[in-house]
Amino acid sequence: MPEELAVRIEDLSIKYKINVDTKRTLKNAVMRASKGEKVRMRTVEAIKHLTLDVPHGSVLGIVGANGAGKSTLMRSIAGILPPTEGRIIVNGKISTLLALGVGFNPALSGRDNIILGGLASGLSKDEIEAKTEAIAEFAALPDGFIDMPVRTYSSGMYGRVAFSVAVNMTPDILLLDEALSAGDASFKEKSFQRMRELCSEARTIIIVSHALATINELCDSAIWLHKGSMLAKDKPEAIVDQYLKFLDVGTLPSNFEDM
Amino acid sequence: MSPSADFQPKIQVFEPHRASLPPVIPYLKEFWNRRSFAIELSRFADKAEYLESKLGKVWLVLNPLLLAMVYFLLVTVIRGGNTKTNGLTTLAHILIGLFTFYFASNCITAGAQSITTGGRLILNQAFPRALLPFSSSISAFQTFLPTIPVYIFVIIIGKIFFPATQVPRLAISFLWVPLIVALVGITGFGLALLFATMNVYFRDTNKLLSYVMRIWLYLSPILWLPSMLHGWHRIALYANPLGPVLSATSNIWIEGKTPTLSEFIGAFAWAAGSLLIGGYFFVSRERDFAVRI
Repeated sequence: MPEELAVRIEDLSIKYKINVDTKRTLKNAVMRASKGEKVRMRTVEAIKHLTLDVPHGSVLGIVGANGAGKSTLMRSIAGILPPTEGRIIVNGKISTLLALGVGFNPALSGRDNIILGGLASGLSKDEIEAKTEAIAEFAALPDGFIDMPVRTYSSGMYGRVAFSVAVNMTPDILLLDEALSAGDASFKEKSFQRMRELCSEARTIIIVSHALATINELCDSAIWLHKGSMLAKDKPEAIVDQYLKFLDVGTLPSNFEDM
Repeated sequence: MSPSADFQPKIQVFEPHRASLPPVIPYLKEFWNRRSFAIELSRFADKAEYLESKLGKVWLVLNPLLLAMVYFLLVTVIRGGNTKTNGLTTLAHILIGLFTFYFASNCITAGAQSITTGGRLILNQAFPRALLPFSSSISAFQTFLPTIPVYIFVIIIGKIFFPATQVPRLAISFLWVPLIVALVGITGFGLALLFATMNVYFRDTNKLLSYVMRIWLYLSPILWLPSMLHGWHRIALYANPLGPVLSATSNIWIEGKTPTLSEFIGAFAWAAGSLLIGGYFFVSRERDFAVRI
């Protein structure tokens, strides 16, 4: 793969099966088997034949309606979900901040969770301990909340800590899924600042957001996912325009009708 | 643009798979590199538990201890109260057997839940998933460790009251203890991998497991002595994944003897078998976990 690429996605398809019937329990499985019933499965095609190159130092925005496959795409780039077809080549260290927030343990303090989050993303204990102070400072929680259990946090504080961990891992590729909506205006400004910094260091950022202004402000290119396919790749303003029109009118632009 | 200054090329290729093993050597390497994550995860889980209930950890030791007392009463009552001669030996056998069994049992039950309860971590980070049950096994080991001094304490007190009973003092055979404990841990971890995978597909595996563990306890040489089995009945001892190690444990702690060759072979075979089968089952399916959680 060419050296200037951070991520290369070749003809990627991701399908998974979901069980639509009952709860998946041994009891149900035995009951079904005794009645000779089959499990009703539904195949979800989350991503369909997607090809995409993301160069180092770029910020890519992904827009699309709910269920378009944005989070699936992010997870597959992070190596969490395996492709069904095609392949993904990633060059560099990945840091993720995906929709559900990090695996925080609510009984532990913010500081402990920072350490745990760093270890989970592959740092050694010394490395993360050296960074903990900087991360806590970046999160800038009020009144010593950083040493209180995470279950006492407001969702905004939770989001701030999670974001601070993700951006301070010095990742080569940062994947952010709806991660910028948590903080208040001042924290948002700070996080934009930090992301521009990461960019100027030639790190790559991929952002999924429903806040289209964020996409416009931060990204230098964007793609529009619709039902698992990439409808368009362009400058963010152009993509956002098309996408807004689609949201207004509810129909796809005429040149996409054959897709 | 060319990559950043501190950029170290680290090319990862994600390709389709069909219930087959990912490359084993890189997987093990990644597992090894991230072992401190498993250790810290277990440490933090213990810390969280302690913060939630200060007695939490103590109960994990008290539980097998009290159970041992109950079983001891049960066994001596069934036997007709003939306790003067070998009461302490029986208690010692039940105690060390239960403590060892609970080590394996804690590995398995906690490990079996580690994937389904680790949902957010699994959805957010890519790492060898076997680290989660491994972390549970570390916790189980740390619960097991303090039970050894508890055992020694009970025996010393017992010796004061029944000086005649022969529970061995420190003997050379005790050098085998670390190896036997390691084999218990490996067997427990291997089976945890197996049940953790099952629990992802069938969420009631855990409920079933609590009954399995109870029956397993009665089938293991804890409330009875391995020497009570003769002839082909001894198959029951070796068909039990924990049979040979528990028999060896009793041999070391109660008889003060080196475990027999068949105990060694049985224990090694079960440890290797559990780890290989559990490991294969788990690792070949772990990339499927993120969609099924």
